[in-house]
Amino acid sequence: MTGDPLPASRTTRRAVLASGGALLGAGCLGGAGGGSGGSGGSGNGNDDGGGSGGGAPPLADHPVGQNLAAQPRLGPDPAEATGVIVAFEDPSCPRCATFESETVPKIRSKLVAPGDAAYVVRTVPLVYPWGEPAIQALEATYARDADAFWALLTHYFDEQDAFDPGNVLDRTATFLSAETSVDAAAVVGDAEDAAYDDAVQTDLAAAEAADVSGTPTVFLFRDGQYRTRVTGSVSFNLVQQSLGL
Amino acid sequence: MISLPLRRGDWRLMGRTARLVLGVPAYALLGAVAAAVALTGFVLSQNLPFVSDVLAGPVPATALLELYPFVGISYGPVTGAVVVLVSLLVGVDIALVAYHVRERRLSAEGSGGSLIGVVLGTLGAGCAACGSAILAGVLSLFGAAGLVTLLPLDGLEFAILALAALVLSIHWLANGMRGGEIRGCPVELQK
Repeated sequence: MTGDPLPASRTTRRAVLASGGALLGAGCLGGAGGGSGGSGGSGNGNDDGGGSGGGAPPLADHPVGQNLAAQPRLGPDPAEATGVIVAFEDPSCPRCATFESETVPKIRSKLVAPGDAAYVVRTVPLVYPWGEPAIQALEATYARDADAFWALLTHYFDEQDAFDPGNVLDRTATFLSAETSVDAAAVVGDAEDAAYDDAVQTDLAAAEAADVSGTPTVFLFRDGQYRTRVTGSVSFNLVQQSLGL
Repeated sequence: MISLPLRRGDWRLMGRTARLVLGVPAYALLGAVAAAVALTGFVLSQNLPFVSDVLAGPVPATALLELYPFVGISYGPVTGAVVVLVSLLVGVDIALVAYHVRERRLSAEGSGGSLIGVVLGTLGAGCAACGSAILAGVLSLFGAAGLVTLLPLDGLEFAILALAALVLSIHWLANGMRGGEIRGCPVELQK
């Protein structure tokens, strides 16, 4: 058993989803005016998270751009990349698994490898309870070895149906021991103690500020400017067309 | 007492009524448009900020197609099939309601299921457990956002309920036309 790896004071899944409720209300009220891109006092998150056009903030000022340098990343520096893809994902989310298996490999090979775009992952526990300890383990792993982080993230998505709150850290330790060079016992210990909860809370705060209420939610930036956001297991074509790459 | 389509004859009546009404080009066109609008509504309601960005210009409109079932990958095969089926039934239902009201000068009684179907279809579109934009928003208003993760089908239940509501609506509409004629053909077959 892993116990409760998260302190009671953390931002909760309910809080993030509730912010989505606020987005819904604002979106409905403002729908006739063109959706969430409108201004007019519906809240900072709505403008920042969904706006476009002249009022859209650049990546550096956008909620999802906060602490970006500390996030797991593939490809060039976001500050210099033509395209930047920031994906909010939950290891327990079924549509994230589809996004990871169908879209991310093409992002890696066709956008990241040529140096056209950076791909950044921010993890948020929104779906099933085992996602919370899994994210603690991911942060603890990333603090030690970025390659191990990507391997563990892929493992979670590949074996999604096998995890539950009672076995996720045991299975994490088994995988890390077998497939990576990180100290698996230390990672699990840190996950149980929520040693990297600051990193988890940073992502949750970014998700809340950007009105992320579902996963995966993918934010796209072109030349440092916000381009759009999409929720769901979006296709590579959508990403490529939206970025114009 | 509520009439349910429990007998084989009820389903045959629904099918025959739908065929006869959709055999009229104007109602077939209306049904097709209604189905397309319903599908578009289900799909785009999940991503209003993206739609807004397309309308604002920075994103090409062709990218919207990638949100539709079986074009992009936003829907798995089962969810996509259910969402498309709900949309088609909305089209049939709207065509029947229109025929019922216009041609037979009758009330739209029995059409309430179509509205329920549209609402449930919107809630059930997408992966509700992953945070379907509409469903998560509605549930969070009641502090119950996490409840959907307890559903065994990840929220597809709502789309299945939409199917049931639309079938009931079509059943009631077909029952209301029982004994009449459409394009000179009797709605109800001789037993």
